[in-house]
Amino acid sequence: MELRAVTKRYGHAENAVTALDAVDARFAPGTFTAVMGPSGSGKSTLLQCSAGLDRVTGGEVRIDGVPITDLSERALTRLRRSRVGFVFQTFNLIPALTAAQNVVLPLRLAGRRPQPSEVTARLTEVGLAERAGHRPAELSGGQQQRVAIARALITRPAVIFADEPTGALDARSGAEVLRLLRTAVDRHGQTIVMVTHDPVAAAHADRVLFLADGRVVDDLTGPVGSEKIAVHTARLEESAR
Amino acid sequence: MMAWAIVRHRFASFAGTFVAIALGVAVVACSVTLYLSSRPQPPERYDASPVMVQAPSVGTNDFSESEIRSWTTSELTDLATKLRPEPRITNVIPDPVFYVQELGTEDMGTAQLDGHSWSSAALGGYRLTAGRAPEKRGEVVIGTSLRKGTGAGGSIEVLTAVGPETWTVTGTTDGGGYYVTDSDALARSSGVRVIGLTVTGDPERIADSARALIGTSGTVLTGPDRAALEPAKVTRIRWIGAQLLIAMVVLGAFATVFVVASTCALTASQRRRELGLLRAAGATPAQVRRLMYAETALIALLAGLVGAPLGAVLAPLVAGPMVSFGLEPPGYEATWQPAAVGGAVLLGLVVALAGVAVAARRASKVPPLAALREAAAETRSMTPSRWVFGLLSLAAGAGLLAAMPTMATESKTTAGMGAAMLLLTTAALLAPVVIGPLVRLATGPWRGSATGMLVREGTLTGVRRVASTAAPVLVTVGMTVLLTGMVATIDEAAGIDEAADIPAATVLAPDGTPGLGETAVSAQTGTSRLDTRVLVTHGSAVTGEDATGVAGAPVTLSPEAAKELGASIGSAINLRWADGTVASLPVEKIDVNAAAPVVLPRDLVRRHDPDALTALVVLKGDPQPAAGGRVLSARDYAREQVDEEGDLVDLFLWVLIGLTAGYTAIAVASTLLMATAARGPEFRALRLAGAGLGQVLRVTTAEALLAAVVGALLGGAVGVFSLTGVRAAVEDEMGREVALIIPWAAGIGVAILCAVLAVAATAVPVLRRTELAR
Repeated sequence: MELRAVTKRYGHAENAVTALDAVDARFAPGTFTAVMGPSGSGKSTLLQCSAGLDRVTGGEVRIDGVPITDLSERALTRLRRSRVGFVFQTFNLIPALTAAQNVVLPLRLAGRRPQPSEVTARLTEVGLAERAGHRPAELSGGQQQRVAIARALITRPAVIFADEPTGALDARSGAEVLRLLRTAVDRHGQTIVMVTHDPVAAAHADRVLFLADGRVVDDLTGPVGSEKIAVHTARLEESAR
Repeated sequence: MMAWAIVRHRFASFAGTFVAIALGVAVVACSVTLYLSSRPQPPERYDASPVMVQAPSVGTNDFSESEIRSWTTSELTDLATKLRPEPRITNVIPDPVFYVQELGTEDMGTAQLDGHSWSSAALGGYRLTAGRAPEKRGEVVIGTSLRKGTGAGGSIEVLTAVGPETWTVTGTTDGGGYYVTDSDALARSSGVRVIGLTVTGDPERIADSARALIGTSGTVLTGPDRAALEPAKVTRIRWIGAQLLIAMVVLGAFATVFVVASTCALTASQRRRELGLLRAAGATPAQVRRLMYAETALIALLAGLVGAPLGAVLAPLVAGPMVSFGLEPPGYEATWQPAAVGGAVLLGLVVALAGVAVAARRASKVPPLAALREAAAETRSMTPSRWVFGLLSLAAGAGLLAAMPTMATESKTTAGMGAAMLLLTTAALLAPVVIGPLVRLATGPWRGSATGMLVREGTLTGVRRVASTAAPVLVTVGMTVLLTGMVATIDEAAGIDEAADIPAATVLAPDGTPGLGETAVSAQTGTSRLDTRVLVTHGSAVTGEDATGVAGAPVTLSPEAAKELGASIGSAINLRWADGTVASLPVEKIDVNAAAPVVLPRDLVRRHDPDALTALVVLKGDPQPAAGGRVLSARDYAREQVDEEGDLVDLFLWVLIGLTAGYTAIAVASTLLMATAARGPEFRALRLAGAGLGQVLRVTTAEALLAAVVGALLGGAVGVFSLTGVRAAVEDEMGREVALIIPWAAGIGVAILCAVLAVAATAVPVLRRTELAR
């Protein structure tokens, strides 16, 4: 997973806004990266461009070695389906489908017939095996987010993008979600890129990228304590003011 | 799997589509059932005659019915002689038919088919139930169903083409009508066109040998093909009914496509987030499109399964009124028509998929990113495809209107309706263009108030939603204005026409009878016309012409008939009379004011058409009392004629407007229910921001009214625009100016109805949400 000189501008000509300004970044396989930064720093744009949800204005994005910038919408969808997983802040489950049906959705969309054991295994991993037949409305927020994680994991994607996955959860459910993400990295060698503004969440990552004004301003690697992250964040917000 | 799960889970959000399709399918199933039930039938009178011979067809008329000539008496004898040698034919029975009506009864449109020869009773397998067969002129066997209490030995007062007569009832039969002696029936009828055979053995084989025996002097018919023998009078009644039923099917299908398209578009725009999520989870645009199609197909199927049986159940209930309004022949019944029911379900499916096509295409373009955004306020409401299709249908509709004056008269109304449908589609597609300015204009005075601001911004950022809710109003108002205006304009034009050439005279007109008999006419001093039909041979072609007998008149042609027949003064026309005989008459006069295309001496007509009736006598002297006739002023008579025709037109009008208005009214309600229900969070936010329930209601009411006004204005504009096209066509036909009549009352009435419905439909979901109502 690699970004080379990625630039993203919104709008036209004079009143264009530069959200990403020639960002270079590489996310090694089997790592858990947190992307942080003040509001408007471009962290959400970075995630959307990396995932191919949004088209870049300049530069190149590679997923699994494949440059996605020039792919057609159809090819991009295929790639996303097989190589990319998503976890959103607001869970984003299909209300009409049960937990199990939501989990297998990407496989079914790819035309594959999932093994029941596979579904059960995924749901067991997130501790929801017995809730397989429930619809999203019958699950708590934390449970819904865990279903979303199971859904992201089921295709064994090259990378999972998580956009503020704990943003709408209480501390305990949030911690549970982060623990699940961490396990996926440690046990299955999953690559995860997570956008967050919560230092506690970021502390679960192997590496923290700090963004400000569309540029990478800091890059901390190794287990980073939440306090250290908080200090960095405070400093960035200070300078942004 | 997905489509089913989604449909089951959120059925409510598909309610609008469901209701629209179910209703459309019900209307179509009902109309088509009625239509199919009304296929020409072999008359019941011929039940016991599996093989029949019809006189030769000599061409087709303007209604694409066959022109059948009569056999002459000698041809009949000749045919019988030819057929008798076939041992399996037990009897050859000519079937003369003539006019009989019991004095003092009202003709229900079939009295001219009630007189028969006694031997023809065998064709229906009818037997004497009492008494004996008629043996001489003045004796009759009557159907028991006809008049209870008159048994054999009594007498009966009847009206015939001759005049009032008193017949001796010699017996009764289980068949319907009046049966006189064969020679009497032959003498009274206007020629014989049908011969029935009673047979023993396989009808098909007998038919084959009969064909070989008679050659081209008749058409041999067996089994269901004998439906061709249905009297033209009955077929004409079916034809009128069919016109209404066809219009209902077309209008029903159009309204369904229209409403389904707008509700599907609405549903799709409400589901952007969900669709974006599917895209993010890896659904390709094609998969999203397929999902939309699958959902709609499911809904359409379910709706069809509800609507089609409903239509089939309704059909028999409608059949009775159709007979009493003269749209179907007496004895008509709606029968179970699997093809109609199945076809309606299928049509519902096709129509629904057509309706969802555009919405599905749009939905497939929802980017995965939509999943991450809150339901965004739409900024761009006009898409290129809206422009393209809107302008295309505008061009087609306007072109059709412009071409109307050059079209044949009978296709003009159809063209007018077609143009209106195209223009209504245009208005619906281009509606977003005018909604913006209209909203700004309408909310201008209240810009300062919170309600004004909310309504203004709410509609300006939800132009598509407003367009969706305005669409059904648009159809209702547009169709109402066009249909009522069209009829009013034509009526007005025709009214002037009628008034122009009515003399200030007294007339003798039929009174509950199909026409006046000979004695009634000859008792009067005045002019009259004895209507008949002749088949004129010119070159190698044969043309059926309406002819009339006028006392002492020379052989006269109208200029049009002269041109068609290639005749001029002094040349001879070769014609075949109603009784089958031929004559060659020299043309003595060509007259623009001829009473009919072909005018002939009255006594000649009477001699060759004994069953002909007189429609009207314009009196010169004092009226003499005559049975079956009444005296009134010419002006009153003309008004009655116009009214009678007007009654039928009014009936058509009310059925079609009722259908459109009823249909779209339900669509207005369901679209608004859907749209408002989906805006719950928005209204909740409004309440939390300190708005009272009254204020929320004021906002929703204002928005609903705005949508209704937009729809009414656009629909009215389309209706008036189409009307000008219709007027141009009428002017062209009449060769003079015709006033354009805009039916303000009907248009405004329907618009108000829609507005009331719209307001109610928005208030209900708001009030039902307890967290809002608190």
